[in-house]
Amino acid sequence: MAIIAASGVEKIFRQPKRQAGFGGAIRGLFSQEFTEVRAVDGISFEIQPGEAVGYLGPNGAGKSTMIKMMTGILVPTTGTVEVLGREPHSHRITNAAEIGVVFGQRSQLWWDLPVRDSFDLNRHIYDIPAPRFADNLARLTTMLDMAGYIDRPVRQLSLGQRMRAEIAMALLHDPKILFLDEPTIGLDVVAKDVVRKFLADVNRNSGTTIILTTHDLVDIEEICPRLIMVDDGKLLFDGELNRLRTALGSRRRLKLEFGTDPGPITLKTAQLVTDEGLAKHFLLESEQTSILDVLTELGSVHDLTDIKLEEPDIEEVIRTFYQNKLTSAGARP
Amino acid sequence: MPRSLAVVPHLVRMYVRTRMEYRGAMLLAWFAQALSYAATYTAIALLLLRFGNLGGWDWSEMALLLSFHLLAYSIGASLSFTQFRNIEEQVRLGTFDAVLIKPVSPWVYLVFSGLNIGYAGHIILAVGLMAWAVTQVAVDWSVLTALYFLASLISAAMVTAAIMTMIGATALVWVRSKHLFSIFFGFWELARYPLNIFPVPLQILMLTVAPLGFLAFVPVAVTLGKPVPLLGDWALFGSLAAGPLAVTLGALHWRHCIRNYQGAGG
Repeated sequence: MAIIAASGVEKIFRQPKRQAGFGGAIRGLFSQEFTEVRAVDGISFEIQPGEAVGYLGPNGAGKSTMIKMMTGILVPTTGTVEVLGREPHSHRITNAAEIGVVFGQRSQLWWDLPVRDSFDLNRHIYDIPAPRFADNLARLTTMLDMAGYIDRPVRQLSLGQRMRAEIAMALLHDPKILFLDEPTIGLDVVAKDVVRKFLADVNRNSGTTIILTTHDLVDIEEICPRLIMVDDGKLLFDGELNRLRTALGSRRRLKLEFGTDPGPITLKTAQLVTDEGLAKHFLLESEQTSILDVLTELGSVHDLTDIKLEEPDIEEVIRTFYQNKLTSAGARP
Repeated sequence: MPRSLAVVPHLVRMYVRTRMEYRGAMLLAWFAQALSYAATYTAIALLLLRFGNLGGWDWSEMALLLSFHLLAYSIGASLSFTQFRNIEEQVRLGTFDAVLIKPVSPWVYLVFSGLNIGYAGHIILAVGLMAWAVTQVAVDWSVLTALYFLASLISAAMVTAAIMTMIGATALVWVRSKHLFSIFFGFWELARYPLNIFPVPLQILMLTVAPLGFLAFVPVAVTLGKPVPLLGDWALFGSLAAGPLAVTLGALHWRHCIRNYQGAGG
Protein backbone atom coordinates (compact mmCIF):
# COMPACT_ATOMS: atom_id res chain seq x y z
CA MET A 1 0.00 0.00 0.00
CA ALA A 2 1.26 3.45 -0.95
CA ILE A 3 2.66 5.54 1.90
CA ILE A 4 1.80 8.73 -0.02
CA ALA A 5 -0.92 9.05 -2.63
CA ALA A 6 -1.71 12.23 -4.52
CA SER A 7 -4.66 12.20 -6.87
CA GLY A 8 -5.57 15.08 -9.19
CA VAL A 9 -4.11 17.60 -6.76
CA GLU A 10 -4.52 21.26 -7.55
CA LYS A 11 -3.51 24.25 -5.47
CA ILE A 12 -4.72 27.63 -6.57
CA PHE A 13 -3.54 30.77 -4.80
CA ARG A 14 -5.78 33.82 -5.06
CA GLN A 15 -3.73 36.98 -5.20
CA PRO A 16 -4.88 40.60 -5.42
CA LYS A 17 -4.32 42.06 -8.87
CA ARG A 18 -1.60 44.73 -8.73
CA GLN A 19 -1.94 47.64 -11.11
CA ALA A 20 1.09 49.55 -12.27
CA GLY A 21 1.99 53.04 -11.05
CA PHE A 22 0.76 55.25 -8.24
CA GLY A 23 -2.71 55.61 -9.80
CA GLY A 24 -2.95 51.85 -10.05
CA ALA A 25 -2.08 51.49 -6.39
CA ILE A 26 -4.85 53.95 -5.46
CA ARG A 27 -7.37 52.20 -7.75
CA GLY A 28 -6.35 48.91 -6.12
CA LEU A 29 -7.61 50.24 -2.80
CA PHE A 30 -11.15 50.46 -4.15
CA SER A 31 -11.40 47.56 -6.57
CA GLN A 32 -10.60 44.12 -5.27
CA GLU A 33 -9.66 42.15 -8.36
CA PHE A 34 -7.88 38.88 -7.94
CA THR A 35 -5.78 36.68 -10.14
CA GLU A 36 -5.60 32.95 -9.64
CA VAL A 37 -2.19 31.34 -9.62
CA ARG A 38 -2.28 27.61 -10.24
CA ALA A 39 0.80 26.44 -8.33
CA VAL A 40 -0.02 22.73 -8.59
CA ASP A 41 -2.06 21.56 -11.54
CA GLY A 42 -3.62 18.10 -11.49
CA ILE A 43 -0.69 16.15 -10.05
CA SER A 44 -1.09 12.45 -9.27
CA PHE A 45 1.49 9.99 -7.99
CA GLU A 46 2.00 7.24 -5.45
CA ILE A 47 5.05 6.63 -3.30
CA GLN A 48 5.72 3.25 -1.72
CA PRO A 49 7.30 2.73 1.73
CA GLY A 50 11.10 2.89 1.63
CA GLU A 51 11.31 4.81 -1.64
CA ALA A 52 13.57 7.82 -2.12
CA VAL A 53 11.99 10.29 -4.50
CA GLY A 54 13.45 13.48 -5.88
CA TYR A 55 10.93 16.23 -6.67
CA LEU A 56 12.55 18.39 -9.27
CA GLY A 57 11.57 21.53 -11.10
CA PRO A 58 12.61 25.12 -11.74
CA ASN A 59 11.68 28.01 -9.44
CA GLY A 60 7.92 28.46 -9.20
CA ALA A 61 7.20 24.95 -10.47
CA GLY A 62 5.14 24.11 -7.39
CA LYS A 63 7.63 21.87 -5.58
CA SER A 64 7.43 23.54 -2.17
CA THR A 65 3.64 23.87 -2.45
CA MET A 66 3.36 20.10 -2.98
CA ILE A 67 5.63 19.43 0.03
CA LYS A 68 3.48 21.80 2.11
CA MET A 69 0.34 19.90 1.14
CA MET A 70 1.94 16.56 2.01
CA THR A 71 3.04 17.87 5.39
CA GLY A 72 -0.37 19.37 6.21
CA ILE A 73 0.69 23.02 6.05
CA LEU A 74 -1.51 23.81 3.06
CA VAL A 75 -4.89 22.45 2.01
CA PRO A 76 -5.29 21.33 -1.63
CA THR A 77 -7.84 23.31 -3.63
CA THR A 78 -9.04 20.15 -5.38
CA GLY A 79 -7.93 16.53 -5.46
CA THR A 80 -6.71 14.47 -2.55
CA VAL A 81 -3.43 13.94 -0.78
CA GLU A 82 -3.06 10.99 1.57
CA VAL A 83 -0.02 10.45 3.73
CA LEU A 84 0.14 7.24 5.77
CA GLY A 85 -3.52 6.70 4.93
CA ARG A 86 -4.85 10.03 6.13
CA GLU A 87 -5.42 13.56 4.89
CA PRO A 88 -2.45 15.56 6.23
CA HIS A 89 -4.27 18.87 6.76
CA SER A 90 -7.24 17.43 8.62
CA HIS A 91 -5.00 15.16 10.75
CA ARG A 92 -2.12 17.61 10.93
CA ILE A 93 -0.90 16.78 14.43
CA THR A 94 -1.10 12.99 14.02
CA ASN A 95 0.59 13.29 10.65
CA ALA A 96 3.31 15.55 12.07
CA ALA A 97 4.20 12.94 14.70
CA GLU A 98 5.05 10.41 11.99
CA ILE A 99 6.97 12.56 9.57
CA GLY A 100 10.14 14.63 9.70
CA VAL A 101 10.55 17.85 7.76
CA VAL A 102 13.69 19.80 6.92
CA PHE A 103 13.54 23.20 5.28
CA GLY A 104 16.85 24.07 3.66
CA GLN A 105 16.33 27.79 4.01
CA ARG A 106 14.39 27.96 7.29
CA SER A 107 15.99 26.76 10.48
CA GLN A 108 13.99 24.94 13.13
CA LEU A 109 16.81 25.13 15.67
CA TRP A 110 16.77 27.69 18.51
CA TRP A 111 19.22 30.30 17.30
CA ASP A 112 20.67 31.42 20.64
CA LEU A 113 20.82 28.05 22.37
CA PRO A 114 23.10 25.02 21.99
CA VAL A 115 21.99 22.44 19.40
CA ARG A 116 21.45 19.91 22.18
CA ASP A 117 18.68 22.08 23.70
CA SER A 118 16.68 22.05 20.46
CA PHE A 119 17.08 18.26 20.30
CA ASP A 120 15.94 17.95 23.89
CA LEU A 121 12.85 20.08 23.21
CA ASN A 122 11.97 17.79 20.30
CA ARG A 123 12.20 14.83 22.67
CA HIS A 124 9.28 16.33 24.59
CA ILE A 125 7.40 17.57 21.54
CA TYR A 126 7.52 14.12 19.91
CA ASP A 127 7.22 12.29 23.22
CA ILE A 128 10.28 10.14 22.49
CA PRO A 129 11.08 7.63 25.27
CA ALA A 130 14.39 8.55 26.95
CA PRO A 131 16.33 5.36 26.01
CA ARG A 132 15.29 5.59 22.36
CA PHE A 133 16.17 9.28 22.31
CA ALA A 134 19.62 8.58 23.79
CA ASP A 135 20.29 5.81 21.24
CA ASN A 136 19.15 7.90 18.28
CA LEU A 137 21.07 10.95 19.45
CA ALA A 138 24.28 8.95 19.89
CA ARG A 139 23.87 7.29 16.48
CA LEU A 140 23.07 10.53 14.63
CA THR A 141 25.84 12.43 16.43
CA THR A 142 28.36 9.86 15.21
CA MET A 143 26.98 9.51 11.69
CA LEU A 144 26.77 13.26 11.12
CA ASP A 145 29.94 14.06 13.06
CA MET A 146 28.21 16.53 15.38
CA ALA A 147 30.12 15.81 18.62
CA GLY A 148 32.34 18.86 18.14
CA TYR A 149 29.52 21.37 18.05
CA ILE A 150 26.42 19.86 19.63
CA ASP A 151 26.93 22.00 22.76
CA ARG A 152 27.56 25.23 20.86
CA PRO A 153 24.87 27.86 20.20
CA VAL A 154 23.32 27.49 16.76
CA ARG A 155 24.28 31.07 15.83
CA GLN A 156 27.96 30.03 15.96
CA LEU A 157 27.63 27.14 13.49
CA SER A 158 28.53 27.06 9.82
CA LEU A 159 25.72 26.42 7.35
CA GLY A 160 26.94 22.86 6.79
CA GLN A 161 27.00 22.11 10.53
CA ARG A 162 23.56 23.65 10.95
CA MET A 163 22.09 21.61 8.12
CA ARG A 164 23.48 18.39 9.62
CA ALA A 165 21.87 19.36 12.93
CA GLU A 166 18.54 20.15 11.19
CA ILE A 167 18.53 16.73 9.53
CA ALA A 168 19.44 14.98 12.78
CA MET A 169 16.64 16.80 14.60
CA ALA A 170 14.11 15.72 11.97
CA LEU A 171 15.15 12.07 12.45
CA LEU A 172 15.29 11.86 16.26
CA HIS A 173 11.73 10.56 16.51
CA ASP A 174 12.23 7.87 13.81
CA PRO A 175 9.81 9.34 11.28
CA LYS A 176 8.38 7.02 8.65
CA ILE A 177 8.77 9.72 6.01
CA LEU A 178 11.40 12.44 5.77
CA PHE A 179 10.54 15.49 3.67
CA LEU A 180 13.43 17.74 2.71
CA ASP A 181 12.89 21.05 0.95
CA GLU A 182 16.17 21.91 -0.79
CA PRO A 183 18.44 20.39 1.87
CA THR A 184 21.73 21.13 0.10
CA ILE A 185 21.05 24.71 -0.94
CA GLY A 186 23.97 26.99 -0.16
CA LEU A 187 26.23 24.19 1.11
CA ASP A 188 29.80 23.76 -0.06
CA VAL A 189 30.87 20.66 -1.99
CA VAL A 190 32.10 18.76 1.08
CA ALA A 191 29.00 19.52 3.14
CA LYS A 192 26.73 18.53 0.23
CA ASP A 193 28.57 15.23 -0.06
CA VAL A 194 28.16 14.48 3.66
CA VAL A 195 24.44 15.25 3.54
CA ARG A 196 23.85 13.20 0.39
CA LYS A 197 25.73 10.16 1.66
CA PHE A 198 23.92 10.32 4.99
CA LEU A 199 20.45 10.60 3.40
CA ALA A 200 21.17 7.72 1.01
CA ASP A 201 22.30 5.66 3.99
CA VAL A 202 19.20 6.52 6.04
CA ASN A 203 16.96 5.52 3.14
CA ARG A 204 18.76 2.27 2.34
CA ASN A 205 19.57 1.05 5.83
CA SER A 206 16.76 2.45 7.98
CA GLY A 207 14.05 2.17 5.34
CA THR A 208 12.93 5.77 5.91
CA THR A 209 10.96 7.03 2.92
CA ILE A 210 12.56 10.21 1.58
CA ILE A 211 11.00 12.92 -0.54
CA LEU A 212 13.24 15.80 -1.39
CA THR A 213 12.90 18.85 -3.56
CA THR A 214 16.01 20.23 -5.13
CA HIS A 215 17.51 22.19 -7.96
CA ASP A 216 20.65 20.12 -7.75
CA LEU A 217 20.52 17.01 -9.90
CA VAL A 218 23.44 15.44 -8.10
CA ASP A 219 21.20 15.24 -5.01
CA ILE A 220 18.82 13.12 -7.03
CA GLU A 221 21.49 11.02 -8.69
CA GLU A 222 23.05 10.12 -5.35
CA ILE A 223 19.97 9.78 -3.17
CA CYS A 224 16.87 9.14 -5.25
CA PRO A 225 16.39 6.30 -7.69
CA ARG A 226 13.03 7.82 -8.61
CA LEU A 227 12.43 11.26 -9.99
CA ILE A 228 9.25 13.31 -10.21
CA MET A 229 9.73 16.28 -12.47
CA VAL A 230 7.32 19.21 -12.55
CA ASP A 231 7.01 22.49 -14.35
CA ASP A 232 4.27 25.13 -14.20
CA GLY A 233 2.59 22.96 -11.60
CA LYS A 234 2.22 20.04 -14.01
CA LEU A 235 3.80 16.61 -13.86
CA LEU A 236 6.35 16.17 -16.64
CA PHE A 237 7.96 12.91 -15.69
CA ASP A 238 7.65 10.27 -13.01
CA GLY A 239 9.99 7.33 -13.08
CA GLU A 240 13.51 6.08 -12.66
CA LEU A 241 16.22 8.60 -13.30
CA ASN A 242 17.83 6.52 -16.05
CA ARG A 243 14.50 6.49 -17.91
CA LEU A 244 14.41 10.27 -17.99
CA ARG A 245 16.89 10.53 -20.83
CA THR A 246 14.71 8.36 -23.05
CA ALA A 247 11.53 10.06 -21.92
CA LEU A 248 12.89 13.47 -22.79
CA GLY A 249 14.23 12.22 -26.12
CA SER A 250 17.90 12.67 -25.26
CA ARG A 251 20.26 10.59 -27.30
CA ARG A 252 23.53 8.93 -26.39
CA ARG A 253 26.73 10.36 -27.83
CA LEU A 254 29.19 8.23 -29.78
CA LYS A 255 32.75 9.30 -30.50
CA LEU A 256 34.77 7.47 -33.12
CA GLU A 257 38.52 8.08 -33.47
CA PHE A 258 40.50 7.08 -36.56
CA GLY A 259 44.23 6.65 -37.35
CA THR A 260 43.71 8.37 -40.72
CA ASP A 261 40.86 10.70 -41.69
CA PRO A 262 38.26 8.53 -43.43
CA GLY A 263 36.41 11.58 -44.86
CA PRO A 264 32.66 12.13 -44.37
CA ILE A 265 30.80 9.18 -42.90
CA THR A 266 27.03 8.71 -43.07
CA LEU A 267 25.32 6.12 -40.87
CA LYS A 268 21.68 5.00 -40.57
CA THR A 269 22.05 4.20 -36.90
CA ALA A 270 23.69 7.49 -35.87
CA GLN A 271 23.65 11.15 -36.88
CA LEU A 272 26.94 12.96 -37.38
CA VAL A 273 26.99 16.16 -35.32
CA THR A 274 30.67 17.19 -35.29
CA ASP A 275 33.40 16.19 -37.72
CA GLU A 276 36.96 16.89 -36.52
CA GLY A 277 38.63 14.78 -39.16
CA LEU A 278 40.27 12.09 -37.03
CA ALA A 279 37.46 12.30 -34.46
CA LYS A 280 33.77 12.20 -35.38
CA HIS A 281 30.89 12.76 -32.96
CA PHE A 282 27.51 11.10 -33.51
CA LEU A 283 24.16 11.01 -31.74
CA LEU A 284 22.64 7.54 -31.70
CA GLU A 285 19.20 7.48 -33.30
CA SER A 286 17.63 4.94 -30.97
CA GLU A 287 17.93 3.61 -27.42
CA GLN A 288 18.09 0.13 -28.93
CA THR A 289 21.12 0.87 -31.09
CA SER A 290 24.23 -0.87 -29.78
CA ILE A 291 27.91 -0.28 -30.54
CA LEU A 292 27.82 -3.54 -32.42
CA ASP A 293 25.11 -2.14 -34.74
CA VAL A 294 27.30 0.88 -35.46
CA LEU A 295 30.42 -1.21 -36.04
CA THR A 296 28.51 -3.54 -38.36
CA GLU A 297 27.25 -0.61 -40.39
CA LEU A 298 30.69 1.03 -40.40
CA GLY A 299 32.40 -2.11 -41.71
CA SER A 300 36.11 -2.82 -41.38
CA VAL A 301 37.42 -0.57 -44.15
CA HIS A 302 38.22 2.36 -41.86
CA ASP A 303 41.26 2.73 -39.61
CA LEU A 304 39.22 2.87 -36.39
CA THR A 305 41.44 3.28 -33.29
CA ASP A 306 39.01 4.08 -30.47
CA ILE A 307 35.30 4.17 -29.74
CA LYS A 308 33.55 5.89 -26.89
CA LEU A 309 29.84 5.79 -25.96
CA GLU A 310 28.60 8.46 -23.53
CA GLU A 311 25.28 8.64 -21.73
CA PRO A 312 23.94 12.21 -21.90
CA ASP A 313 24.62 14.19 -18.74
CA ILE A 314 21.34 14.39 -16.79
CA GLU A 315 21.78 18.09 -16.11
CA GLU A 316 22.26 18.72 -19.79
CA VAL A 317 19.19 16.64 -20.61
CA ILE A 318 16.99 18.70 -18.34
CA ARG A 319 18.54 22.00 -19.33
CA THR A 320 17.95 21.16 -23.01
CA PHE A 321 14.39 20.15 -22.19
CA TYR A 322 13.58 23.46 -20.47
CA GLN A 323 15.38 25.47 -23.17
CA ASN A 324 13.38 23.71 -25.89
CA LYS A 325 10.22 24.39 -23.92
CA LEU A 326 11.04 28.09 -23.61
CA THR A 327 11.92 28.31 -27.31
CA SER A 328 8.67 26.67 -28.36
CA ALA A 329 6.71 28.93 -25.99
CA GLY A 330 8.45 31.98 -27.49
CA ALA A 331 7.71 30.79 -31.02
CA ARG A 332 3.97 30.65 -30.40
CA PRO A 333 1.97 33.47 -32.06
CA MET B 1 -4.01 18.84 23.44
CA PRO B 2 -2.54 16.90 26.45
CA ARG B 3 0.76 16.54 24.58
CA SER B 4 0.68 20.25 23.73
CA LEU B 5 0.21 21.15 27.40
CA ALA B 6 2.98 18.76 28.51
CA VAL B 7 5.36 20.63 26.22
CA VAL B 8 4.54 24.04 27.78
CA PRO B 9 7.14 23.99 30.61
CA HIS B 10 9.85 22.93 28.18
CA LEU B 11 8.95 25.70 25.74
CA VAL B 12 8.96 28.27 28.54
CA ARG B 13 12.33 26.98 29.77
CA MET B 14 13.78 27.38 26.26
CA TYR B 15 12.40 30.89 25.93
CA VAL B 16 13.68 31.99 29.34
CA ARG B 17 17.11 30.53 28.55
CA THR B 18 17.13 32.47 25.28
CA ARG B 19 16.26 35.70 27.09
CA MET B 20 18.93 35.03 29.69
CA GLU B 21 21.52 35.06 26.93
CA TYR B 22 20.92 38.83 26.90
CA ARG B 23 20.07 39.36 30.58
CA GLY B 24 21.49 42.90 30.82
CA ALA B 25 19.21 44.10 28.01
CA MET B 26 16.26 42.30 29.62
CA LEU B 27 16.72 43.93 33.03
CA LEU B 28 17.14 47.34 31.43
CA ALA B 29 13.91 46.83 29.43
CA TRP B 30 12.01 45.88 32.63
CA PHE B 31 13.24 49.00 34.35
CA ALA B 32 12.57 51.29 31.37
CA GLN B 33 9.02 50.04 30.87
CA ALA B 34 8.12 50.29 34.57
CA LEU B 35 9.58 53.82 34.65
CA SER B 36 7.60 54.84 31.57
CA TYR B 37 4.28 53.67 33.07
CA ALA B 38 5.15 55.21 36.45
CA ALA B 39 5.70 58.58 34.73
CA THR B 40 2.32 58.37 32.97
CA TYR B 41 0.55 57.44 36.21
CA THR B 42 2.30 60.23 38.09
CA ALA B 43 0.97 62.74 35.55
CA ILE B 44 -2.56 61.38 35.94
CA ALA B 45 -2.20 61.43 39.77
CA LEU B 46 -1.02 65.04 39.74
CA LEU B 47 -3.96 66.10 37.57
CA LEU B 48 -6.45 64.27 39.76
CA LEU B 49 -4.99 65.59 43.01
CA ARG B 50 -5.23 69.10 41.53
CA PHE B 51 -8.75 68.82 40.03
CA GLY B 52 -10.34 66.29 42.41
CA ASN B 53 -11.78 63.64 40.08
CA LEU B 54 -12.19 62.41 36.54
CA GLY B 55 -15.75 61.50 35.58
CA GLY B 56 -16.53 60.97 39.26
CA TRP B 57 -13.41 58.85 39.94
CA ASP B 58 -10.91 60.13 42.54
CA TRP B 59 -7.20 59.29 42.60
CA SER B 60 -7.41 56.07 44.65
CA GLU B 61 -10.18 54.73 42.38
CA MET B 62 -8.22 55.76 39.33
CA ALA B 63 -5.15 54.03 40.79
CA LEU B 64 -7.19 50.81 41.06
CA LEU B 65 -8.41 51.27 37.47
CA LEU B 66 -4.89 51.95 36.15
CA SER B 67 -3.33 49.04 38.02
CA PHE B 68 -6.10 46.66 36.91
CA HIS B 69 -5.68 47.88 33.32
CA LEU B 70 -1.92 47.33 33.43
CA LEU B 71 -2.04 43.97 35.23
CA ALA B 72 -4.77 42.45 33.04
CA TYR B 73 -3.05 43.72 29.92
CA SER B 74 0.39 42.47 31.04
CA ILE B 75 -0.86 38.96 31.81
CA GLY B 76 -2.75 38.75 28.51
CA ALA B 77 -0.01 40.39 26.46
CA SER B 78 2.79 38.26 27.92
CA LEU B 79 0.91 35.34 26.38
CA SER B 80 0.25 37.00 23.10
CA PHE B 81 1.58 40.40 22.09
CA THR B 82 5.11 39.82 20.77
CA GLN B 83 4.16 36.35 19.55
CA PHE B 84 1.26 37.57 17.42
CA ARG B 85 2.90 40.83 16.42
CA ASN B 86 5.78 38.80 14.97
CA ILE B 87 3.57 36.29 13.20
CA GLU B 88 3.38 38.62 10.20
CA GLU B 89 7.16 38.40 9.85
CA GLN B 90 7.04 34.62 10.27
CA VAL B 91 4.45 34.29 7.53
CA ARG B 92 6.42 36.56 5.20
CA LEU B 93 9.66 34.66 5.76
CA GLY B 94 7.96 31.26 5.70
CA THR B 95 9.14 30.32 9.21
CA PHE B 96 5.55 29.87 10.35
CA ASP B 97 5.53 26.66 8.27
CA ALA B 98 7.90 25.16 10.84
CA VAL B 99 5.28 25.71 13.57
CA LEU B 100 2.69 23.79 11.55
CA ILE B 101 4.82 20.67 11.15
CA LYS B 102 5.10 20.01 14.88
CA PRO B 103 2.75 17.52 16.54
CA VAL B 104 1.47 20.12 19.00
CA SER B 105 -1.11 22.88 18.83
CA PRO B 106 0.42 25.76 16.82
CA TRP B 107 -1.21 28.26 19.21
CA VAL B 108 0.36 26.61 22.26
CA TYR B 109 3.73 26.39 20.53
CA LEU B 110 3.65 30.00 19.40
CA VAL B 111 2.41 31.42 22.70
CA PHE B 112 4.71 29.52 25.06
CA SER B 113 7.82 29.53 22.90
CA GLY B 114 7.59 33.31 23.16
CA LEU B 115 6.06 33.75 26.63
CA ASN B 116 7.20 37.28 27.29
CA ILE B 117 8.88 37.59 30.67
CA GLY B 118 9.66 41.15 29.60
CA TYR B 119 6.33 42.13 31.18
CA ALA B 120 7.72 41.51 34.66
CA GLY B 121 8.37 45.25 35.05
CA HIS B 122 4.73 46.03 34.19
CA ILE B 123 3.47 43.37 36.58
CA ILE B 124 5.62 44.50 39.52
CA LEU B 125 4.45 48.10 39.08
CA ALA B 126 0.79 47.09 38.63
CA VAL B 127 0.75 44.79 41.67
CA GLY B 128 2.44 47.45 43.81
CA LEU B 129 -0.05 50.15 42.77
CA MET B 130 -2.99 47.77 43.16
CA ALA B 131 -1.87 46.70 46.65
CA TRP B 132 -1.95 50.37 47.69
CA ALA B 133 -5.21 51.18 45.87
CA VAL B 134 -7.28 48.30 47.33
CA THR B 135 -6.60 49.66 50.80
CA GLN B 136 -7.62 53.20 49.82
CA VAL B 137 -10.87 52.67 47.91
CA ALA B 138 -14.23 52.56 49.65
CA VAL B 139 -14.92 48.88 49.06
CA ASP B 140 -16.17 46.49 51.70
CA TRP B 141 -13.90 43.60 50.66
CA SER B 142 -15.40 40.14 51.20
CA VAL B 143 -14.41 36.72 49.88
CA LEU B 144 -17.05 37.10 47.17
CA THR B 145 -15.82 40.56 46.14
CA ALA B 146 -12.23 39.33 46.08
CA LEU B 147 -13.21 36.27 44.01
CA TYR B 148 -15.12 38.46 41.56
CA PHE B 149 -12.16 40.84 41.34
CA LEU B 150 -9.78 37.96 40.58
CA ALA B 151 -12.14 36.28 38.11
CA SER B 152 -12.77 39.53 36.25
CA LEU B 153 -9.01 40.13 36.11
CA ILE B 154 -8.53 36.73 34.46
CA SER B 155 -11.44 37.46 32.13
CA ALA B 156 -9.84 40.80 31.16
CA ALA B 157 -6.49 39.11 30.50
CA MET B 158 -8.34 36.61 28.30
CA VAL B 159 -9.90 39.50 26.33
CA THR B 160 -6.39 40.89 25.69
CA ALA B 161 -4.93 37.54 24.59
CA ALA B 162 -7.96 36.75 22.43
CA ILE B 163 -7.86 40.09 20.58
CA MET B 164 -4.11 39.73 20.02
CA THR B 165 -4.69 36.18 18.73
CA MET B 166 -7.35 37.39 16.31
CA ILE B 167 -5.15 40.20 15.02
CA GLY B 168 -2.15 37.89 14.63
CA ALA B 169 -4.23 35.15 13.00
CA THR B 170 -5.37 37.63 10.37
CA ALA B 171 -1.77 37.75 9.11
CA LEU B 172 -2.07 34.05 8.22
CA VAL B 173 -4.57 35.03 5.53
CA TRP B 174 -3.70 38.67 4.77
CA VAL B 175 0.06 38.31 5.43
CA ARG B 176 0.06 41.78 7.02
CA SER B 177 -1.84 42.64 10.19
CA LYS B 178 0.45 44.95 12.20
CA HIS B 179 -1.72 47.98 11.42
CA LEU B 180 -4.52 46.33 13.42
CA PHE B 181 -2.30 46.48 16.52
CA SER B 182 -2.18 50.28 16.12
CA ILE B 183 -5.99 50.33 16.29
CA PHE B 184 -5.88 48.05 19.34
CA PHE B 185 -3.47 50.32 21.18
CA GLY B 186 -5.59 53.36 20.31
CA PHE B 187 -8.53 51.85 22.23
CA TRP B 188 -6.16 50.42 24.83
CA GLU B 189 -5.04 53.98 25.73
CA LEU B 190 -8.67 55.03 26.16
CA ALA B 191 -9.43 51.95 28.26
CA ARG B 192 -7.40 53.27 31.20
CA TYR B 193 -9.95 56.06 31.80
CA PRO B 194 -13.57 55.83 33.03
CA LEU B 195 -15.80 54.93 30.09
CA ASN B 196 -18.44 57.47 31.11
CA ILE B 197 -16.19 60.42 30.11
CA PHE B 198 -16.41 59.38 26.44
CA PRO B 199 -19.27 60.03 23.97
CA VAL B 200 -21.89 57.30 23.73
CA PRO B 201 -20.83 56.00 20.26
CA LEU B 202 -17.33 55.41 21.62
CA GLN B 203 -18.77 53.70 24.70
CA ILE B 204 -20.77 51.36 22.42
CA LEU B 205 -17.67 50.63 20.38
CA MET B 206 -15.62 49.82 23.49
CA LEU B 207 -18.22 47.40 24.78
CA THR B 208 -18.78 45.61 21.45
CA VAL B 209 -16.40 45.42 18.48
CA ALA B 210 -13.39 46.79 20.38
CA PRO B 211 -14.32 45.38 23.80
CA LEU B 212 -11.52 47.00 25.77
CA GLY B 213 -14.08 48.53 28.12
CA PHE B 214 -13.96 45.09 29.75
CA LEU B 215 -10.20 45.29 30.17
CA ALA B 216 -10.49 47.46 33.29
CA PHE B 217 -13.36 49.92 33.46
CA VAL B 218 -16.31 47.50 33.68
CA PRO B 219 -14.81 45.14 36.31
CA VAL B 220 -13.37 47.96 38.44
CA ALA B 221 -16.63 49.96 38.26
CA VAL B 222 -18.56 46.84 39.38
CA THR B 223 -16.10 46.33 42.25
CA LEU B 224 -16.42 49.97 43.30
CA GLY B 225 -20.22 49.91 42.92
CA LYS B 226 -20.15 52.65 40.29
CA PRO B 227 -22.69 52.83 37.45
CA VAL B 228 -21.64 51.26 34.16
CA PRO B 229 -23.07 53.04 31.10
CA LEU B 230 -25.16 50.95 28.68
CA LEU B 231 -24.67 47.69 30.63
CA GLY B 232 -26.21 48.67 33.98
CA ASP B 233 -26.90 45.53 36.06
CA TRP B 234 -25.50 43.32 33.29
CA ALA B 235 -22.02 44.69 33.94
CA LEU B 236 -21.08 42.01 36.48
CA PHE B 237 -22.09 39.15 34.20
CA GLY B 238 -20.64 40.94 31.18
CA SER B 239 -17.22 41.40 32.77
CA LEU B 240 -17.03 37.70 33.65
CA ALA B 241 -18.37 36.49 30.30
CA ALA B 242 -16.27 38.83 28.12
CA GLY B 243 -13.08 36.75 28.50
CA PRO B 244 -14.52 33.30 27.71
CA LEU B 245 -16.58 34.78 24.87
CA ALA B 246 -13.56 36.57 23.36
CA VAL B 247 -11.46 33.39 23.70
CA THR B 248 -14.14 31.34 21.93
CA LEU B 249 -14.30 33.85 19.06
CA GLY B 250 -10.51 34.05 19.01
CA ALA B 251 -10.17 30.26 18.82
CA LEU B 252 -12.71 30.05 15.96
CA HIS B 253 -10.95 32.83 14.07
CA TRP B 254 -7.56 31.20 14.67
CA ARG B 255 -8.79 27.85 13.35
CA HIS B 256 -10.34 29.49 10.32
CA CYS B 257 -7.10 31.33 9.54
CA ILE B 258 -4.91 28.25 10.06
CA ARG B 259 -7.13 26.33 7.65
CA ASN B 260 -6.91 29.14 5.10
CA TYR B 261 -3.19 29.74 5.59
CA GLN B 262 -1.59 30.36 2.23
CA GLY B 263 1.95 31.27 3.21
CA ALA B 264 3.54 34.20 1.46
CA GLY B 265 4.29 32.21 -1.68
CA GLY B 266 7.06 29.77 -2.55
